[in-house]
Amino acid sequence: MSTPLYEVRNISKRYGSVVALDGADFQINAGEIVGLVGDNGAGKSTLVKCLSGAHKPTSGQIFLDSQEVSWDSPRDAIEAGVETLYQDSGLAPHLTVGANVFLGREKFQRGILGKLGFLDNKNMNKEAHEDLERVGIAVPASSRAISQLSGGQRQAVAIGRAVSWASKVIILDEPTNHLGARQAGEVLEVMKAAKAKGLGVVFISHTLPHVLQVTDRIVVLRLGKIVANAPTSEFDAEKLLGTITGLNQLQ
Amino acid sequence: MSTQEQTPSVLKRLIGNQQFLLLLVWFGMVAFFTAFNSIFFSVAVFGNILLDWAPVVLMAIGQTFVIVSGGIDLSVGSTVALSGVTAAFFMQGWTTDGKNQWVTILAGTLVAGLVGISIGLINGFLITKAKIVPFIATLVTMGAAAGLAIVYSGGAPIAGGPEKAITLSVPWFGPFSTPGLIVVAIVVICGLFLHLARFGRYTYAIGSNEFAARTAGINVNRHYLKVYALSGFLSGLAGMYFYCRLGAGAPTSGYGGELDAIAAVVIGGAALTGGVGRLSGTVLGALILTTTTSGLIIIGVAPDWKQVVVAILIAAAVLLQGSKSGTRGKS
Repeated sequence: MSTPLYEVRNISKRYGSVVALDGADFQINAGEIVGLVGDNGAGKSTLVKCLSGAHKPTSGQIFLDSQEVSWDSPRDAIEAGVETLYQDSGLAPHLTVGANVFLGREKFQRGILGKLGFLDNKNMNKEAHEDLERVGIAVPASSRAISQLSGGQRQAVAIGRAVSWASKVIILDEPTNHLGARQAGEVLEVMKAAKAKGLGVVFISHTLPHVLQVTDRIVVLRLGKIVANAPTSEFDAEKLLGTITGLNQLQ
Repeated sequence: MSTQEQTPSVLKRLIGNQQFLLLLVWFGMVAFFTAFNSIFFSVAVFGNILLDWAPVVLMAIGQTFVIVSGGIDLSVGSTVALSGVTAAFFMQGWTTDGKNQWVTILAGTLVAGLVGISIGLINGFLITKAKIVPFIATLVTMGAAAGLAIVYSGGAPIAGGPEKAITLSVPWFGPFSTPGLIVVAIVVICGLFLHLARFGRYTYAIGSNEFAARTAGINVNRHYLKVYALSGFLSGLAGMYFYCRLGAGAPTSGYGGELDAIAAVVIGGAALTGGVGRLSGTVLGALILTTTTSGLIIIGVAPDWKQVVVAILIAAAVLLQGSKSGTRGKS
């Protein structure tokens, strides 16, 4: 197998005396969807935060495109092409759709006004609309505030933003939570489109049927350790659940 | 798929527009006070209202940025006092040395601004590094700055600076004085940066959802520092403004100013939870506050009634906000 696109080796994270992540190895290849599953407190969120640059691991190494990297902030990871969609919406409800899509990478007016930091809202709104449309999800008007959207529309904007900005890896933490069946189906389609684009997709979810349906490989975390890492074809719902809870070992 | 927005009627939009309602309230006040005493409707009275308005609005501009970012700055009134006293000592020295008066006034303005920025940066560090909530952090600097201003000045106004400073506070452009015009220019510039530039966009984003701002790669801590430094700087300028009005730097200048500033911002439609507010609302809020004070004096009512009127206005503004977010939640 070729070298992974994004990889962490022997990564650990301690919060005081609590070991949230204990020597985990994790890889993601280009054009692959990996499901990351585990019970509450298994360390999924901690691993996501290490991957996204939100947390610095206590020990271990991170490699992107075979280069060792170290993230001091989410900004570093974003600039390197690693986008993360967090479980609790990473959108600012009072800002418009366009402002949210371009948050942190605003476009400026031309000339002296731009140098002073004045924004080109018209272009940002237009491009935001095009980006979201390209991703293939129902797009609300760019000038509407996020707080005026339904839960499904908000999630669509958040995912659309992450997919359109990601150049290498996209990490989706519970993207189908609180969504109806049709909207969840749309999200899964967006993930397949991202995979077809050659992105590495990390899909964190408690909804096991979604994980089994869309992923190529499944990684299971339990009590901060990786306990399984195998192609999705080797799992069925029962075996996956057993691995997550640890009940398989009793047999 | 794109959802089409429906355009509400002009009347509906105006009624839902806080700035428009504030303007109506202000016109109503002017009509009310004029009906009781026709002297109220004169350039002299408006000039006086604007003289009172300018320092309140200076503090309230910074407060708008702070409140939109989800914080609060209680230290602005004390910053006015300390920066005014410090600038007064500085200008006293330069005047004794026989330096040019205008140069001395400019340098004094710079000193007042720097004192304000310093207090703002201390607030910023207490909030971002020491992780103290803004209310407590700025309560600390509020007390410290007020105390320092009294100790430093010995409790008395510091005069002996450039004599021309006080002449600046005479209105010459209609009801506007030179410092008043400068304040108007500052309002416009800050409004542009709050509503059209990235600085404002980040301020709203942080107040709306700090986590989202952080994960979008915004340096949130640095932005907090800038916002509190701006609030301190503008309060420092308000300190210099009071110096020009009194011809001295008094440790009592700006006393209670934080409450006027916060009241102006809240009446102007900002939410203390962050992410909401318009500078035009703040400007009108400050205008309504100072118009109330002058109006009550002119119609012969004890100005202490101002507190009651302000309380009613704040309650009305908050109720209006609650009803707005209520309808938003339903849709």
